[in-house]
Amino acid sequence: MRNKRDVVASVLLIMIGIAVIVWSIRLQVGTLLRPLAGFFPFLVGFGIIALSLILLVQGWLGRSKAPKAYGRWQRPLIMVAGLAVYSVILDPLGYIPSTIFIAAITLRILGVMSWKVISLSSLVLSFSVYFLFTRLLGVELPAGVLSFLG
Amino acid sequence: MDFFANQIHGFTIALSPWNLLYAFVGAVLGTAIGVLPGLGPATTIALLLPVTYTMDATSAVILLAGVYYGAMYGGSTTSILLNIPGEASSVVTCLDGYQMARKGRAGPALGISAIGSFIAGTIGVFLMAMVAPALARFALKFGPAEYSALVFCGLLMAVYLSEESILKGLLMMMIGLLLGMVGIDPVHGEERFTFGLLRLTDGINFILVAMGLFAVSELLVNLETPAGAADIFKTSLKGILPTREDWRKCWAPLFRGTTIGFLIGVLPGGGAIISSFMAYAVEKKFSKHPEEFGQGAIEGVASPEAANNAASTSSFIPLLTLGIPGNNAIAMLFVALMIHGIQPGPLLLTEHPNLFWGVIASMYIGNVMLLGLNLPLIGLWVRLLKVPYHFLAVLIVVIVMIGAYSLKNSAFDVGMIVIFGVFGYVARKNGFPFAPCVLAMILGRTLEQSVQQALKISGADLMIFIERPISATLFALIVLVMLIPIFKRAWKRYQIP
Repeated sequence: MRNKRDVVASVLLIMIGIAVIVWSIRLQVGTLLRPLAGFFPFLVGFGIIALSLILLVQGWLGRSKAPKAYGRWQRPLIMVAGLAVYSVILDPLGYIPSTIFIAAITLRILGVMSWKVISLSSLVLSFSVYFLFTRLLGVELPAGVLSFLG
Repeated sequence: MDFFANQIHGFTIALSPWNLLYAFVGAVLGTAIGVLPGLGPATTIALLLPVTYTMDATSAVILLAGVYYGAMYGGSTTSILLNIPGEASSVVTCLDGYQMARKGRAGPALGISAIGSFIAGTIGVFLMAMVAPALARFALKFGPAEYSALVFCGLLMAVYLSEESILKGLLMMMIGLLLGMVGIDPVHGEERFTFGLLRLTDGINFILVAMGLFAVSELLVNLETPAGAADIFKTSLKGILPTREDWRKCWAPLFRGTTIGFLIGVLPGGGAIISSFMAYAVEKKFSKHPEEFGQGAIEGVASPEAANNAASTSSFIPLLTLGIPGNNAIAMLFVALMIHGIQPGPLLLTEHPNLFWGVIASMYIGNVMLLGLNLPLIGLWVRLLKVPYHFLAVLIVVIVMIGAYSLKNSAFDVGMIVIFGVFGYVARKNGFPFAPCVLAMILGRTLEQSVQQALKISGADLMIFIERPISATLFALIVLVMLIPIFKRAWKRYQIP
């Protein structure tokens, strides 16, 4: 059985390796006596390519171990999308609204159906965490649109 | 006499009210995450790092170390009662522990694992207090050539001892080295791989990578198939203390397990998981009735439980004396020390004796606390499994995000953590081990610096790595390590016919 995922991974890694080598040559590799900033990146890039080639051959011939199956990959995908949105809205909207958003998404993905439970727990959680961290632990969190709360 | 004076000095530090509290909190948290299958010690320590910013270094390490060795206690509880290993290091405990529970002997199984953990942990700390100072003194003689060899050897061991494919481990090591190179080059001061982003000139903060790789990716994996409410094995937990007959059977396995665990824990990439498997295998070979193993032999619980505790203790040795973190959880402690401006390595003991001896003393105390927490309160810990996973998940999300943001008050870092989380998820799914990546990222800069220094000293003569006795020995060790897979294959062939 050809291991498609290992083949894909090795091709990706080979491309990364090539990019690293190109970059390291631009940084100047130097010599063994006078290694410059690109010296180690060059070695690492070379190493990545060499190892990936072996992985490519192994994956192609089906010598590598079968990978673990992806379960319900939709849920992690939604979570990642949610977290990406979170990182974008965190500064402009502030900690509390963004956290209500991400907490609601997490609960929903994990099969909590009742909107009452979802909204109540994400509200309580984000307000309490916000005040706990800012007031008691002295961590700065973005106030955003709710800055009037102080 | 120094040895005892230092230990007593350590106790004066560890017994201060705050440090006692931190040791206690660490032990409680450690037991809790040990019980919960979805949360490991490396993740928990990563989550707790931001909390320790404002603590002093000794207290921070006391707390985080407590989480690590506490998890070894908690992990066995669910293995025995539910056949669910709370930690990877307790997988072996399931084999005989659960069988004992099914035969109505859950009490003695839990008892021997807690008492065994205590004995092994305490002996481990004592041995560590004896060995570590000598090792640190020895390591002070290391020049750049020796240090390069040591780091290289440590990285390769982490690759070769990891459970996954060696090839993938080596690739992860390369990726870790690459991640460590982002930012200003330590020797020449040139910017590398920053993509022109100002935020990347300081390099990628290791905490972000760790939180992403451990916490976020673990969360993503758990989202696929959230664990349902566990079906708790109903059994009366009367008579937790093992009988005299149990003791007669167990004392030798306990000491063998402790020895194996201690020795393997010192190796980079070794640690609790491998040592528990090894201890079980050895015990089966030693036993006069190997057929009872897997059917509820108490030796099969005692020995691996002792081993994983001894190993989790001895894995502090390379961290505190050589500056080489051997596994993911210890790597997190490395980062904790760095956050507090302490460079783990041979100088740690002379420059920060309070930290070293304070932490050692706290480990004795922590083990006593854990014994107290685990024996009478087992019923309470099992109830933790009834907490629905979604509450835990939301809490993890919130803490991770605060941790990432509060590093530099930047939402950019929150984005970074998500990227590393996805990377970790894909890596997990395709059998790429983390430990080599994490260790390489931590040690990459030191490796680069010391190799360059060594080459400068020798005038670009590579023989410097072979001519010096210590680095020559280490390189010989590297060659031996590289032969491990060949031995393994030969061993398998020899066993199969």
